Amino acid sequence: MTCAKVKKSLPLLAGNDLPARKARKILTHADRCPACRRELESYRGALARVKAAAGEDRVGDWSDPEWKGLLATITAERIAKRSPAPGFRPRWAVASGLAAVILLAVLTLVFRNSIFRPEGTALAPGPEVISVTMVSQETGLQVVWFLNKNFEWKGDKK
Amino acid sequence: MRMNETEKELVKMVLSGRSEAFEPLVTPYRQPLLAIAYRLTRDLEEAKEVAQETLLRAYKYLGRYDTSRSFRNWLFQIAANEARDRVRKRRREADAVEEAGRESIANRDPDSGRSSREFRSDLENCLSVLSPREREVFVLRDLEELDIKETAGALGISSISVRVHLSSARRKIRDVIVAKYPHLQEGS
Repeated sequence: MTCAKVKKSLPLLAGNDLPARKARKILTHADRCPACRRELESYRGALARVKAAAGEDRVGDWSDPEWKGLLATITAERIAKRSPAPGFRPRWAVASGLAAVILLAVLTLVFRNSIFRPEGTALAPGPEVISVTMVSQETGLQVVWFLNKNFEWKGDKK
Repeated sequence: MRMNETEKELVKMVLSGRSEAFEPLVTPYRQPLLAIAYRLTRDLEEAKEVAQETLLRAYKYLGRYDTSRSFRNWLFQIAANEARDRVRKRRREADAVEEAGRESIANRDPDSGRSSREFRSDLENCLSVLSPREREVFVLRDLEELDIKETAGALGISSISVRVHLSSARRKIRDVIVAKYPHLQEGS
């Protein structure tokens, strides 16, 4: 392991936040490398001092009557009604939605020629056969696919 | 830290209408909650407001709380969100005031410039170099001693993100201590 890689991991190692295997590798390196060892110690020292300073820096507190009063005010509120967990959908709603989509798809297929088209107009005749031509730029080889109007493959021609 | 059985029972009791069960449910977190709010807002009065709002929300929305999660982390998450919103709001207000007072600043008495900043504790000066997210991660992981996963859960971010911010926060704090407070470093 290089010093540069080790140094990247030192802040996490200082707080024991590295997986054991990686931590062992870095400690092995630090044992042999005075610069990395010094840097690790500086992280550990800084962390220990900040924690100690936080311990000494007492945060104020509510007095007991204040705390009791606060809780009395809070518990005088009403609890909001339980809402369904995010992502939860009732089964009947999912089933109804799915059924509606399927029904719509079937109706569209059945009536696609009769609805959405003004009365008295006939469908324009489409091509009976469609061809797709592919040409290789390197060899000039051409492959032509013929498909009927239902996109069923009818054979190819070279 | 998963929710323990006593807490589960207390939650059930509160939800069934026995509001007196709320006190034993939240009292163990009274000090940690205030400490987190204080470290994130840097102001005791505001920290008390954050903690109050956290407890109020926890009570009102207890029905939405997922009992498979840690109650402590849920409380801390509410507190962190509330503190973040307040800090953002305060910063916006401060920016507006600064903008408005920029013209008058040149005429001010130099001695009046001694702000409370000068008297802030060494700890506060160390934390002030961190970004809001780094500060949240550092406070929860290093000062309140949640583990990485709990910190991620409390802040609603990934463990990877916690590691990245934590690493950066520790580096910055180490640099500040080495540069500005060598006496703190000597104590190690």
